[in-house]
Amino acid sequence: MFDIDLIIKRGEFVSIMGPSGSGKSTLMHIIGFLDHFTSGKFLFQGKATKEMDDDTLAQIRATRVSFVFQAFNLLPRTSVAQNVMLPLLYHPTIQVSERVERVKKAIKAVGLSDRADFLSNQLSGGQKQRVAIARALVTEPDIIFADEPTGNLDSKSGIQVMQALQKLHEKGHTIILVTHEQYTAEHADRIIKLYDGKITSDTTKFKTRKATAKEFLK
Amino acid sequence: MLISDLFKTASKGVTVNKSRSLLTMLGIIIGVGAVVLMTGIGKSMEGVILGQISIIGPDTMVIMPGSQGPEGGPASVKSSFDALKISDVTALKKLKTIDKIAPIIFVSGEAVYGRERAAPQITGAPPEYFGNHVLEATQGRLTDQSDEDSARNVVILGSDTANDLFFTENPIGKRIEVANRKFTVVGVLKPVGTQFFQNFDERIIMPFSTAKNIMGRNYVDMITFQRIDDFDVAKSDVEALLRQRHGINVPEDGSTDNDDFLVRTSAQAQDILGSVSLGLTIFITMVAGISLFVGGIGIMNIMLVVVSERTHEIGLRKAIGAKRMDILVQFLVEAVLLTIIGGVIGIICGIGFSFLIALITQKFLSVYSFAISYPSIGVALLMAVATGLIFGMYPANQASKLSPIEALRYE
Repeated sequence: MFDIDLIIKRGEFVSIMGPSGSGKSTLMHIIGFLDHFTSGKFLFQGKATKEMDDDTLAQIRATRVSFVFQAFNLLPRTSVAQNVMLPLLYHPTIQVSERVERVKKAIKAVGLSDRADFLSNQLSGGQKQRVAIARALVTEPDIIFADEPTGNLDSKSGIQVMQALQKLHEKGHTIILVTHEQYTAEHADRIIKLYDGKITSDTTKFKTRKATAKEFLK
Repeated sequence: MLISDLFKTASKGVTVNKSRSLLTMLGIIIGVGAVVLMTGIGKSMEGVILGQISIIGPDTMVIMPGSQGPEGGPASVKSSFDALKISDVTALKKLKTIDKIAPIIFVSGEAVYGRERAAPQITGAPPEYFGNHVLEATQGRLTDQSDEDSARNVVILGSDTANDLFFTENPIGKRIEVANRKFTVVGVLKPVGTQFFQNFDERIIMPFSTAKNIMGRNYVDMITFQRIDDFDVAKSDVEALLRQRHGINVPEDGSTDNDDFLVRTSAQAQDILGSVSLGLTIFITMVAGISLFVGGIGIMNIMLVVVSERTHEIGLRKAIGAKRMDILVQFLVEAVLLTIIGGVIGIICGIGFSFLIALITQKFLSVYSFAISYPSIGVALLMAVATGLIFGMYPANQASKLSPIEALRYE
């Protein structure tokens, strides 16, 4: 990837679109604190992240961001509730006494309260992805990254998942969605298109314009 | 990550594939089980041997005919060797460093009472013998000096012999036939049990003078006595006297190759016991060490498989905020948990088997009793935990080093 100049503001719902190999996942991994980059600058809440060590990045992942993956990545043979609770085990400030309540709330938010004790392998694809979303919101992170969240789902389940993400956005979470489907990307307020590692367009709903940081800041 | 969460996560890792966990633990189970079993048997045997020593009084020493053989080689005792003369006994009585000298002659033959027959060991010994060995009468009396002086035909029966010949009848005062001569039973000995596969309760004791007359010999089979002074002083006095009387030259290197007798003390027996149990301990430690090493490699092997199987999970945990140390500790605790569970199963198996062995052995060796060596259980468990830590470290470190992205991408 090169020549990337991008600002994402708190509360935005952004789609990153592009064909496979365009670099959209790489971009998400870098801004999701999962991967290192070789050159350039990445500021998070005004702080440079390049010099941060692995433990600091892990701390940010535990408290400020969370992920929804295409392959769900739930723990097999583990209940829905335990899967949702997983991020709380690594959260430095959430108390043990708060855990159950938070898990209940998160599961309720994705409409799976009646499935809380089911094992993850007993669920349908759409349900699995909703569990993954519950897991992503249980720590109440600033940003939720969703990497092709509907990629493995039928269209009906895909709609449910997107509605769930939409609701989170309405509650004030920043959502960054990576997808190659135009329909899915349309849920976002802003669509960034990538091709061969470069941003080719950055569109905010109803209005297209060239995405440079300077212009954006005006 | 909280310690309680850590243990929950690790125990889930262990229990999710139970049969594989069990197979992984097998080396540890065998290693720890072997240690517990062998030390238990060692302790039981120690009890048997100590029991043997205790029926010889603590100050008692024994002279036997025979030679020591080359240094470090096996001692050979020639029982019908005529090296110990009755005149030697008289000379020994003049030594100031020893007393309670009891010459012993074994008499061949059997014992008959009515229609009952028995083949006990028939021993001719003076009254000092009862003090040298810890022997007491439960019925009647022991033979005394006047029996000795008049070479009376009186006998004391071992408890089993008394039972064989008389069953429920009171043997005291009864006339029995021993080695084709008539004897009066004056006492029955308190049971002391089987020692070294030889039943000491199956014997008949008569006065030494009587046995001497029957056998018509000028030599004895054994002499027991008690030290007054130090063991070493008593031993060297006895050796010097007998060598002088037997015309034995001690070579310049001080070896005892030329001797035709052996002097033994119960302290020596205890020394031998000590070296045997030390040897046993070293042997067990080596067996356990090898077994735990092999078990440890098994654990490392399986943990590496587990890490590669759960690469996705590691990636996910890292993506949701697990630090490197969280992952390292999680897999390390899982490995240690495997070894602890294996260790506990090993301890239970070890105790179970030594109990079983005790049950079977008691049929042949009644004084054998079930014993557990508690320190060895602790040491075995510690060794198992250490094995888990050492062999779990490499796989756990490999797991913790995975980058979250690569781990999530891993197929």
